[in-house]
Amino acid sequence: MQHAEQLVAGARTVASATSPSPLLDVRDLTVTFPGAAGPVQIVRGLNYSIARGETLGIVGESGCGKTMTSLALLGLVSGGGKVDGTIDFNGSNLVSFSQRQWQQLRGRDIAMIFQEPMTAMNPVMPVGRQIGEVLIKHQKLSRRQAEKRAVELLASVGIPSPARRAQDYPHQLSGGMRQRAMIAMALACRPRLLIADEPTTALDVTIQAQILDLMLTLQDEAKMSIQFISHNLAVVSEVAHSIMVMYAGKAVEYAPSDDLFANPLHPYTQGLIATLPDPDKQVKRLYVIPGRVTSGITVGCRFASRCPRADEGCRRTEPEFVEVAPGHHVACHKVGS
Amino acid sequence: MLRYTVSRLLQAVLVILVMSLLLFMLIGLMPGDPVENMLEGNPSLTPDTMAQMRALYGLDQPVYVRYGHWLYSALHGDLGYSSVYFRPVLEVLGPAIVQTAKLLVATEIISIPLAMLLGALAARRPGGWTDSLISLFAFASISLPGFWTSLILIIVFSVKLGWLPASGTPLMGDASLSEQIVHMILPVTVLTFFHVGPLVRYVRASMIETLNSDFVRTARAKGLSESAVIIRHALRNALIPMVTVLALGFGSLFSGALVVETIFGMLGMGKIIYDAVSNIDFNLALVGLLLATIVTLLSSLLADLAYAWLDPRIVLK
Ligand SMILES: Nc1ncnc2c1ncn2[C@@H]1O[C@H](COP(=O)(O)OP(=O)(O)OP(=O)(O)O)[C@@H](O)[C@H]1O
Ligand code: SF4
Ligand SMILES: [Mg+2]
Repeated sequence: MQHAEQLVAGARTVASATSPSPLLDVRDLTVTFPGAAGPVQIVRGLNYSIARGETLGIVGESGCGKTMTSLALLGLVSGGGKVDGTIDFNGSNLVSFSQRQWQQLRGRDIAMIFQEPMTAMNPVMPVGRQIGEVLIKHQKLSRRQAEKRAVELLASVGIPSPARRAQDYPHQLSGGMRQRAMIAMALACRPRLLIADEPTTALDVTIQAQILDLMLTLQDEAKMSIQFISHNLAVVSEVAHSIMVMYAGKAVEYAPSDDLFANPLHPYTQGLIATLPDPDKQVKRLYVIPGRVTSGITVGCRFASRCPRADEGCRRTEPEFVEVAPGHHVACHKVGS
Repeated sequence: MLRYTVSRLLQAVLVILVMSLLLFMLIGLMPGDPVENMLEGNPSLTPDTMAQMRALYGLDQPVYVRYGHWLYSALHGDLGYSSVYFRPVLEVLGPAIVQTAKLLVATEIISIPLAMLLGALAARRPGGWTDSLISLFAFASISLPGFWTSLILIIVFSVKLGWLPASGTPLMGDASLSEQIVHMILPVTVLTFFHVGPLVRYVRASMIETLNSDFVRTARAKGLSESAVIIRHALRNALIPMVTVLALGFGSLFSGALVVETIFGMLGMGKIIYDAVSNIDFNLALVGLLLATIVTLLSSLLADLAYAWLDPRIVLK
């Protein structure tokens, strides 16, 4: 795990472990959808928190529920999905919010950069107006003031000739530009919590780095918290103070970044770290965790079918999510006691 | 945009020329002889006089010569004489065009916003009671025949209540505007009811799809109210596919207008073309059908322009 140590050196450390109360504290978050064979829990019993000014990374493969978790924080779970548990944000429980309260909160206190920069913007409205809209709603700016501010925001995320770009429609911008515009839109009201859902996945590597830099700079300026989602552990390691690894709707490991890389405990996390390309070797060693997510299993450990260490006990009883070291939580029978 | 429009109009002129030739030949193939028709029942009719008549009207000439003559006069403003109405074709068609245009325009002006409103309301909660009610209305509109609704409305509002006239046009030629409008109420209501049902269903389907799209989720994530999301973001996007539906639905609207015009005794385009074809009124049928072609061409041009206006991704070239 020499490579992991290099990552530890680069990982951000949790600055204030003794901070009074976190900005976001999620308890037992569960999202249930009606399914053909009874209700399906897409997200199951999540517990995590994010301190002010810090970044939580959420990692897991496609379909594990990362986006759904984020939508729950904005009250945007649609299609008959039901959210249970508590979402304590800045002292109030969002789960009991009314439609009006949600509308006050969205875009102002919590904003989200969506996964798909190509489709996440209205194709028939100029970019500047789409950004200005959120300012008109929450900061009561006039339309002209909002347009002016939108141009400033576009400039602040590094878009050249922002005044002209503000008049453009989304299809006239490149993928990178569009993602920057999305960031400008999300940051318009200086939210306390920014949810970034795979903000760089659709972009090429150089632009990826620029966008990450930009987000971190803006985070430092505004003391904003970030929930950063990716299926790429390498990207997350560059930005997150702590990391939650998800598998099939559940958290399997949750720890401060440096802990997680120095001492990955869950077999799935270990597999993810092993799949990271090693920068020291000329030939990239791409290890892939064999198998795929099995859905619908409700007894035993959900990872059992792919786990090299699985045994009968794993298939029979589901492991508890326990704190095995300060701040380091794991759900695996073979870890801890 | 201007260049595009001009080139499309030039193309349209070409299409109209070709269509006029085709129609000229097709109408010529219709069974029945115009001269026989005209002189029907005339006891002094001999094969000789008939041949004379044919020569007089140029009917003994080959079709391309006749077409050439027709085109020459048509381009000089002479579209010939109607053998059914005994008046110049333009004089017959003029008022009919105005009549039908009034009916169609009034119907579209009411139908489109109404369909948008009902479709959007229904899409807000698919399966809810508003949706069920609106679907029922759309279903009734699609399945009840136009002549049936016309008769029911006439019985209720003209015969029983006596509130509205049963005819679509005032008897006097110089009726006041308000009188003309009062006469239009029932025909426009029937045609709107006939026309709006399919539109509502399309708007609803298109709206439901749009409301599930990513950018609508983005709009909600900004904290916009649901009505702002629908009006500012969803509606315009949902309307883009509606343009085709409207352009294609124009034909069905026109045939609906024929039924309505017949029942309410209005002398519109539908009635004129019907009379012309069934009585082999060559000149009138030709120009009437050509006009229908022109309207179709214009509506497809209009649809393309509307596309470009609604969707900035479309560049007309
Ligand atoms: N409306 C719905 N009804 C039922 N299941 C749904 C619905 N929407 C999403 N899901 C399921 O929820 C699961 C989690 O989806 P989610 O989008 O949160 O995954 P993700 O972790 O963000 O994946 P990705 O990395 O591909 O974005 C998926 O398996 C998906 O099939
Ligand atoms: S509980 Fe068993 S199957 Fe699950 S991850 Fe741990 S060892 Fe593997
Ligand atoms: Mg996702």
